[in-house]
Amino acid sequence: MVLAALRGVSFTYAYTNEPALRDINLTLEEGLLYAVIGPNASGKSTLCALLRGIVPLFHEGELTGTAEIRGRNLLEWDPAELSREIGYVFENPFTQISGIKETVFEEIALGLENLGMPPEEVIDRVEQVVEQLELGALVAKNPNELSGGQRQKVAFASIIAMDADVIVIDEPTSQLDPESSDAVFAIIANLKKSGKSIVLVEHKMDLVAQYADRVIALNGGRLVIEGPTSEVFTSPLLNASDIARPAVTELAEALVHVGRPLSRTPVTRAEAAELIRARMKGGSRADRSR
Amino acid sequence: MSSESGNAVAFVNRFRTYVDRGNPIRNMDPIVVFIVLAAIAIAPIAFPGFVAAAIVCLIYPVIALFAGVAREFLPTYLKLFLVVGLVLFVLRAAFIDGEDPLFRLGNIAPTWAGVEEGARFALLVMAISGAVTLFFNLATVRYLMLALELRGVTPRATYVILASFQSIIDLGRHARTVLEAQQSRGIETQGNIIVRARAFFPILAPVFLAAINQTEERAVSLDARAFNSNVPHTHLVMLRPTRPRELVVAVLVVATVLAAFIGSAVGWF
Amino acid sequence: MVNESAVVKFLKGYGRLTIFMMPIGIAINFIGGQIALLLKLPVYLDSIGTILVGATCGMGPGALVGAISNVLNAITSPPTLAFGVLNIMFGLLAGYLARRGVFKSWSKTLLSAIPFALIGGVLGAIITIWVFGGLAVGGGALVVGALVALGLDVNTANFVAQVPMDILDKVPTVMIVFAIIKGIPNRTFAKLPLGYIYLGKNKAGASSKPSGTSVS
Repeated sequence: MVLAALRGVSFTYAYTNEPALRDINLTLEEGLLYAVIGPNASGKSTLCALLRGIVPLFHEGELTGTAEIRGRNLLEWDPAELSREIGYVFENPFTQISGIKETVFEEIALGLENLGMPPEEVIDRVEQVVEQLELGALVAKNPNELSGGQRQKVAFASIIAMDADVIVIDEPTSQLDPESSDAVFAIIANLKKSGKSIVLVEHKMDLVAQYADRVIALNGGRLVIEGPTSEVFTSPLLNASDIARPAVTELAEALVHVGRPLSRTPVTRAEAAELIRARMKGGSRADRSR
Repeated sequence: MSSESGNAVAFVNRFRTYVDRGNPIRNMDPIVVFIVLAAIAIAPIAFPGFVAAAIVCLIYPVIALFAGVAREFLPTYLKLFLVVGLVLFVLRAAFIDGEDPLFRLGNIAPTWAGVEEGARFALLVMAISGAVTLFFNLATVRYLMLALELRGVTPRATYVILASFQSIIDLGRHARTVLEAQQSRGIETQGNIIVRARAFFPILAPVFLAAINQTEERAVSLDARAFNSNVPHTHLVMLRPTRPRELVVAVLVVATVLAAFIGSAVGWF
Repeated sequence: MVNESAVVKFLKGYGRLTIFMMPIGIAINFIGGQIALLLKLPVYLDSIGTILVGATCGMGPGALVGAISNVLNAITSPPTLAFGVLNIMFGLLAGYLARRGVFKSWSKTLLSAIPFALIGGVLGAIITIWVFGGLAVGGGALVVGALVALGLDVNTANFVAQVPMDILDKVPTVMIVFAIIKGIPNRTFAKLPLGYIYLGKNKAGASSKPSGTSVS
């Protein structure tokens, strides 16, 4: 099924002059992990908000073009239904803690209570998510006294608990150290494996390269390129748009410039390690001849 | 590690049963407690003189003792008595004119009528104040809101109350941080009154604006947690249902107070 | 079209942020008062949030913020309950004045300190006289006592003492409300019930659906 089909979509927030999205044509398939990349203010968050109808319903503005979500025009969706089908983890961990719950366990349960789930099921579901995200040490803590990174995990857990088919995640690792970032991405990969569709905004390109199926690159509100991860990261279009690439891809580029290119351009560390290992085994001359 | 996960299991199991705050009075439904205390608090108004009010003021410490909150309640209540009750009593007793003054001290000539009136008024205020203080010692706002939601109050209303407590904590913390930052940057917060008054604006305006600017994100975040869903919300925390004997006590108290007011209206006392 | 669920109502139209503004208004009341105490200012400054919410969300939410703040104050100081009606009146008056565009100009805002102070001073004095026989305890009690000692009767002393004290309190209060309103971004105003006033629109134009959503 098609998750979202955008045709000629432009959006300008009310009380601003510059469009946040310009003439976006894009089709997102279900069951994949999409990463949205681009510099600041390139329209990443607006694109995510559009998928959930936050734009143009909550943040008003001028929307042109056609936006279809799961085969139905965005504006024909009942927002309540849409919010059940599309989970949304926001960027700021501080505003995502409800402020009305005493413990992390109850905080994660809030969404399920609001959905009317019987308490016994709520407990089981929250326990499951707590285990999945290794939040056991936090369950009895006050969510309002946690660090930014801890809050980010709790906010993430709160949305995962609600078990939506599609999950949009705006910068899930902005407050996390590299180790926790890896852990969060492992969880996201598992969610995808269990059949969820995922759209995420992420600045850590190495993680994007490793986990994303496809990448959507935006710049200045325009779509630069959308395609399979390795294709996007090796595309010359990215260079022109000044969008960062994975460190190993940049390294390979640098090797090209000094006249010692690898046999192909890697995007993940594993690939790079493999290619470099191959060269170390003495293939460097052969590499250069290619 | 294993003890930690054991604690987590014990913690989670708390939600599988009714809330237990370790005392039968504190386990009562906050709304029942509210009704009973409100009835007791207004009862002395039905009676002439100050004896009824004095009795009510003595009932609270007894309830507090049985509820295991005497340690929290008594000091607060005594302080209220000294700071508010005593002042109200002395001022009235001293200034209400009448014949046969008890003694004279310059212009002040308290009379027995003034003392009676002062005692009645001060004790009536204390009867109501005591009920308010005791109520917030017995009930938590959290469970009171839960009890209200169970009776059909919209979660939006309880959200406002519960969130305001957290907002007070968050804004207070932020304001103090800004205050300290201003002080370390050399902006005067001491000195004469104009200097101090001028410090007020740059401390508070940015803090308040920051909080307002967060409301949009809070709104969409809470919406993402199905806060606006149409289905009736369920509740993880379970309040113990009211027991028959609690109901009997509550009905008896309310009926007695009602009878007192009717009696007062038809001139029994 | 879509059915008008709670979510639709929440997402569309003005007033979406009201329930999120109210806790902040309540907190502003408390923190304003606390910082005034901390800076040892001789004013309360504990109605900034009530007036702010009244001015941006309307009379109802403003009055509720005042009422709730009063009840929360009563947890530690029950006698303040008697003055709850003051806070409610501040919220109502703020909403009323806002509809007349008072908080759009700093000079009108400054003048609004007078009606607020009159409510605070006169109504406050009346409650003090009526409920506490003019002998309430609190900040003004000393002044009242001094005036009585000078020969004024208790009632006059209350009015004389409270109105100027309230002017002193309400001038900085309304000015900080004005400063905050100046700082609220347009996109936030678009989601507040009285936001249309500060966006320079009339109400009819404001409450219509999102402008220009021409998705086919």
